[in-house]
Amino acid sequence: MEYVYGIIIIVGLYVVLATSFNLIIGYGGLVSIAHPVFFALGAYTSAVLSRDFGVPVLLAMFAGMVVAVVASVALTLPTLRVSGDYLLIASIGFQLGLLEVIKNLRFTGGPGGFTNIPPFLIRDFGRESYVILVLAVTIAVVLLVRLIARSDYGRAMSAMRDDEQAFASVGRDAMWMKIVIFGLGSGIAGFAGALYAHYYRFITPEQFEILQSAAILTMVVVGGVRTTWGPVVGALLLQALPQALTFLHLPPSVLGPIQGLLFTGLVLVFMFVRPQGLVPAENVWRDRTPRSRTGEGG
Amino acid sequence: MFDATIVLQILWTSLATATYYVLFATAFALVLKVTRLFNFAQAAIMTIAFYTAFVGVQWLKWPGWAAFVLMMVVTLAASYALERIGFEALRRRGVSVMFVFVFTFIVSEFIAYLAMLIFGTWPQTVFPMIFWPVTLVGNIAISAWDLPAIGSTVAAIAALFAFMRFTRLGQFMVGVADNPDLAELYGINRRLVFLLAMLIAGALVALGMFLYGTRAQVLPQTALSLMLFAVAATIIGGIGNLGGAVAAAVILGVIQNASILVIPSEWQGFLLYVFLFLAIVFFPNGLRLPRRRERFGSATRKIAGEEASTPESRG
Amino acid sequence: MTGVLEVKNLNKSFDGIVVARGINLSLTAGKVLGLIGPNGAGKTSFFNLISGVVKPDSGAVTLAGVSIDRLKSHERVRHGLSRTWQHIRLFPSLTVLDNLLVGTHDYPGESLLSVLLAHARLKQHDKIARERAADVLGRMGLSQVADALVSDLPYGQQKLIGVARALMGDARCLLLDEPMAGVEGQSYAAMQRVVRDAADCGVAVCVVEHNVGFIQDLCDEGVFMFSGAIMARGSVAELIRDPQLTELYFGH
Repeated sequence: MEYVYGIIIIVGLYVVLATSFNLIIGYGGLVSIAHPVFFALGAYTSAVLSRDFGVPVLLAMFAGMVVAVVASVALTLPTLRVSGDYLLIASIGFQLGLLEVIKNLRFTGGPGGFTNIPPFLIRDFGRESYVILVLAVTIAVVLLVRLIARSDYGRAMSAMRDDEQAFASVGRDAMWMKIVIFGLGSGIAGFAGALYAHYYRFITPEQFEILQSAAILTMVVVGGVRTTWGPVVGALLLQALPQALTFLHLPPSVLGPIQGLLFTGLVLVFMFVRPQGLVPAENVWRDRTPRSRTGEGG
Repeated sequence: MFDATIVLQILWTSLATATYYVLFATAFALVLKVTRLFNFAQAAIMTIAFYTAFVGVQWLKWPGWAAFVLMMVVTLAASYALERIGFEALRRRGVSVMFVFVFTFIVSEFIAYLAMLIFGTWPQTVFPMIFWPVTLVGNIAISAWDLPAIGSTVAAIAALFAFMRFTRLGQFMVGVADNPDLAELYGINRRLVFLLAMLIAGALVALGMFLYGTRAQVLPQTALSLMLFAVAATIIGGIGNLGGAVAAAVILGVIQNASILVIPSEWQGFLLYVFLFLAIVFFPNGLRLPRRRERFGSATRKIAGEEASTPESRG
Repeated sequence: MTGVLEVKNLNKSFDGIVVARGINLSLTAGKVLGLIGPNGAGKTSFFNLISGVVKPDSGAVTLAGVSIDRLKSHERVRHGLSRTWQHIRLFPSLTVLDNLLVGTHDYPGESLLSVLLAHARLKQHDKIARERAADVLGRMGLSQVADALVSDLPYGQQKLIGVARALMGDARCLLLDEPMAGVEGQSYAAMQRVVRDAADCGVAVCVVEHNVGFIQDLCDEGVFMFSGAIMARGSVAELIRDPQLTELYFGH
């Protein structure tokens, strides 16, 4: 049963990561590869605070989220001020550079990883409670992003992606909007990281390397950018594939690269063959007629 | 604390090791200048170049020069394929710049994983040994690697600049960089020029990886950080300004190597990311020298995405 | 009397090419001012400088008595300075109505918090904004295309929608970049009417046009620009009659 719980939790967290990344890259049009590093920041912050500073786990988790948001602003504020084109470059440096810092610092456990992270809920309420928590967070995040995409905010994001200067010329602040979108997506990733850390109770810098960037990007691209269910389908599919691979009992030295090839190869194939992804985009700002609009809640 | 010999020694060694940085930065800057692409797939080409040389020497037991030729051929073929199969298709489809960014980055990662699968995750070198005999000049140790490295790099860069300045084809390449539409009017074949830029970049990168791989250990992921160094140098040098990229690469290379005097060695690698970040935040349009050179100014603004990218801005 | 928009000694050059040379200009509420001049005279650059798209080398701009020099593009719009673009630049993935709604003054959908929490306020604003948009579109005779994608519409209608979008922002000062170019028939008449209406409501309007005929149809007064400088200001008829200006215009 523990094996099944583990799979549910990991798939749920990847749905959260892919959905929040879809908010950034899809709806926000902000190209970054640094999503795993915010996952890592959430995980490490929560782990370090709760184990070494006696902070209650729930509080530490939220602190992880806050740190991820603050770090995201540190990335976006200086680079977006220059130009959106530089965000991708900066994000590569940010991802690799922060992992380098985590590896070199002492209190993070260095390259060996951080062990003995305090558990949450499981001792008092059993593993099922944690599964329920993760599922609840997953559903909440999917619905939240869906709500945002279909709200007036979504309309503004759509306009911003279309033409940033025209967007400014109708009085809208594109820069602030991008920082908010990136911050929200990163904060969600940070919270997912905290949830990961307190279940598996062991984290290493390696888990957040570029392989993860490729994996999350693949989930969004293969599933379908700018859709509610695309990242969900993508995350399910791309978590199922590596799980299936583990049954082949390949040595770890081969398994890693094969996963990497799978992720990157799928992105390449989809970019050329089916750029819209598995789930076709429901362009909410195109298909709505006035009648369906008034009948809709929000 | 630091005596003159040590400082001079470090300066010399840094200068010698800056050679491959110069080659990587020039290649990256050239492709960016001509095709307006941040070609992150350069890391893929770099990985292919190194492992081809490695296979030539270590698996096939070929002499160094033969492996070098093999590496050049394979690298150029890979660059050709990347341009013709990848970029041309994407250009035809008119995809967004961001789409191309992601494509090039994923190509690099794909090749890195392929290399990991075939060659494993431990460090490799072109020749079994990376220690070169040393001659003392004054009190400074000059290795047998240093002079050929500096000589071949200077020759390669000089050849590139001469090509762009004195040959018709080279001038076309600069023409396309400055104004693609105008170039089209004069009947310059853009496809050919883009391909040419990719091939030249491929050759520079191959030479650079050969130099790097004969002096340091290479992992499948190494090319990515080496390329980021080139990106930082390109940005600091000023986009569209090849000479600036060369100068920035030398300076950054020397700073990084000389930093061993003041910071712990495990933090040396981190310096690269600091460079990159500083470059983007403080010098997005390059270090502006007092004397303004504005031949490439328009290209710079275009890429930096400032307002002038719209056709109507000059009314 | 001071104007709604006051421009004092505005200068700008790009790499040695001067696009604004000591420009002084005042826009009056309720009047339509035409900016005439040959290609490359710096007319659009002038709009870019005022709307904050391009930073001037020197000079000062005040809007309704408040200096806007340090404000960013979008902040200037919120202070009441709206503009349109020569190449229209609508949001192609949105419908006509949505294009207008994004352009409303104080759009609540810009704030994530209000979208998630202030549902009632959102609904109320939405209702007002829709009525307003319907009114603007009605006056332009475009009610029937409100739910069409803007990219599916003919050029003339797109130009009108560009102006409609700018009108949604409660502008005190409206800068129109070649509103008439490529606009014909019904749309032409509608454009003329709408610009006039805006001026009659007290908006200061400035129009860039190549075509002197359009300027005559649209403007109360004209300014002749050449090589980044203002050469003359007067009634449109005067400007057209001036042989020196004609020489500059056609001799260029």
